[in-house]
Amino acid sequence: MTSLRFSRKQLCIPYALFLILFVVIPMLMILFYAFTVSTPDGIRFSFSNLVNFFTSEAKLSTLLMSFTIAIISTAVCLVIAYPIAYILARSKLKKKQVLLMIFILPMWINFVLRITALRELLNAIGLLESHNYLCTIIGMVYDFLPFMILPLYTSLEKLDNSYLEAAADLGGNKFNVFTKITFPLSMPGVISGITMVFMPSMTNYVVSDTLSNFNITILGKQIDQYFTTYYDWHMGSMISIILLVIIFLSMLLTGGFKDSKNDARGANLW
Amino acid sequence: MKRIAAIAAALLLIIPSLLLFAGCSNDERVLRVFNWEEYISEEDDPESGSIDIIAAFEEEYGVTVEYSTFGTNENMYNELQINPGGYDLVCPSDYMIMKMIDEDMVEPFSDEFLQNGTYSQHVSPYIADLFESNGWTQYAAAYMWGTMGYVYNPNLVDVEDLTSWAGIWNEKYRSKSTIKDSVRDSYFLGVAYVYRDELTALAQRHAGGELNDEEYNAQITSIMNRTDQETLDRVADALIELKSLLYGFEVDSGKQDMITGKITINFCWSGDGVYAMDEAEPFTDDDGVYHDGIYLNYVVPDECTNIWFDGWVMPKGADTELAEAFINFLSRPENAIANMNYIGYTSAIAGDEVFDEMVDWYGEGEEGDVDENGDPLVPYDINYFFEGTGEYDDYSIWVSEESLSRQVSAQYPTEEVILRSAVMANFDNETNALVNDMWEQVKSQPVPVGAYVTIAVIAAAVLVIVLTYLYRGKRSAAKPKKGYRRAD
Repeated sequence: MTSLRFSRKQLCIPYALFLILFVVIPMLMILFYAFTVSTPDGIRFSFSNLVNFFTSEAKLSTLLMSFTIAIISTAVCLVIAYPIAYILARSKLKKKQVLLMIFILPMWINFVLRITALRELLNAIGLLESHNYLCTIIGMVYDFLPFMILPLYTSLEKLDNSYLEAAADLGGNKFNVFTKITFPLSMPGVISGITMVFMPSMTNYVVSDTLSNFNITILGKQIDQYFTTYYDWHMGSMISIILLVIIFLSMLLTGGFKDSKNDARGANLW
Repeated sequence: MKRIAAIAAALLLIIPSLLLFAGCSNDERVLRVFNWEEYISEEDDPESGSIDIIAAFEEEYGVTVEYSTFGTNENMYNELQINPGGYDLVCPSDYMIMKMIDEDMVEPFSDEFLQNGTYSQHVSPYIADLFESNGWTQYAAAYMWGTMGYVYNPNLVDVEDLTSWAGIWNEKYRSKSTIKDSVRDSYFLGVAYVYRDELTALAQRHAGGELNDEEYNAQITSIMNRTDQETLDRVADALIELKSLLYGFEVDSGKQDMITGKITINFCWSGDGVYAMDEAEPFTDDDGVYHDGIYLNYVVPDECTNIWFDGWVMPKGADTELAEAFINFLSRPENAIANMNYIGYTSAIAGDEVFDEMVDWYGEGEEGDVDENGDPLVPYDINYFFEGTGEYDDYSIWVSEESLSRQVSAQYPTEEVILRSAVMANFDNETNALVNDMWEQVKSQPVPVGAYVTIAVIAAAVLVIVLTYLYRGKRSAAKPKKGYRRAD
């Protein structure tokens, strides 16, 4: 112990500290709050928040709404992003990085600003007034599309051309090549795209508040309400935990389709 | 491993102490003020009459003001819970002041402040009486006050419809109105709608001389603060019905949406109404160019209204001396005027200087004058607010007939409106939880049929995919022939 010597292991200290302070401890606190209630005599262990969530019509409706909006937004993103990513990845353009950048460009502008601008745009074409769901979904898609394009592009770009040639040599027509070779091999990109769009669109309430004129409540908004307005951190934490479980389950489900060989290709951002 | 732990522990010890040092770098006196967003005059602009009040205070008293803002009473309360002793002066609304007094969270004012302070000398007797009768004088100093009502576009809305709060429960104005995304304000609206017949009956009894002014006001206040289960259920139904007719809820966009014409009716605080009316009306700029606009109107429905206040309180542990100095500074008439000018709300400060300013803003002439159309001006009587605070005999502003439903009516309600206005009571925690449940229900309903359909389709699709996958898995597992080995 005469001198401080740093081994490579110690390089992880900053991150470990960060992890403990800002991830592990807050998570434990959320867990603690979720399974306790405040009574006049102090804080007491209880399952009542959990029971309350699954017996409250308002909360279950919110869950259903968030789910629907997230699923539709994800599906629309996928439908729009796949062809674009495919064209970009397969094109022989020399400057396709530039082209890709154009798709990513909107992400450089502050997102609240973009959504506020979108509100005016939707108002100008007359959608804002009474199409709350449509507007919210348009907002989510607009906001998260780059997160779908990027992983899809990465996985399609790495696709080895010789597979496609081999498939064509063996008599596969274009449709068969796509469904049997291209699409299955891009699955890791599809999955990471889905996870990156689905999760935030269940909670991104800036979009739903701004574009539905506060008519649509999604889970993120509900959590915010419990922390800031209703002053019930216990219920707020419980909803956060439930959201976490839902996301974990959906990842397990999508993870089931992952091909272990493709993981090594690094296309999966998760 | 031990060494890592030791370094980690050392770092953990060092970081907080570094932060402490950073915080103690000067020993100047600091006043920590926590106020609503955009609720104080912040700019030096001699032309419009606004001053940078905080800078002026810092200069005069040689102190530093740490100024931070909040968006809702609930946010403010939350912050005080997390950070007790973190502020010297905060500005909650009526019911939140009551809650804080009940929970023993605030420091009382000094006798010196109550007897000789600039605030005590200049505050309107009407406001002072109201604070006294509610028992707040010791703990709270009124800042801004006003009513709630509808601001509307008279070209597109029939004012007869808005003589009742029920006016926006009307197919005619579908997708043309907004209400506040706030539990308490919307609950108030719901209660007024549900009990509108009862409130109208009270008004008739009052007009018929059966009830005197105090009884009438007391009965309205008690109805407007009802929280029994039946009321809660009826309000929930009423608000869910209303939600399907609204353009939406708003936090701060209502004013702007009125000005741009997205909506034609907005349930608002009177100060926001003044702001919207100011911004929307036509004007001629410095270069003599005429800008077209609309004259919006403000109306307080006949049944009742909510009279609200925002007041300064000193949380426990505050630097009370400096906090009182700040309240007194804000209460100087010239500063009160600057604030009213900048934010559009009505100060609790009265006096001739303030009245002169109001005449300057709203007065269109003197008794006996006529307006553009040749009709005589009418007096707008606000004696109840100014009486006894100055030298004048009569505090009436002479305005044209049309102006009676414009800015001036939102800036100072008439005495008749005051009579039918209720103060919101503080609900206890249990009641609050019930009201919050009601609000949560309103905000989450209705779920469109499409959502159920989508979920059903998705569930079916997932099931099919999973089954196919499992089936395929089995088939391919059975496939390898004898003598064949996988090469992994």
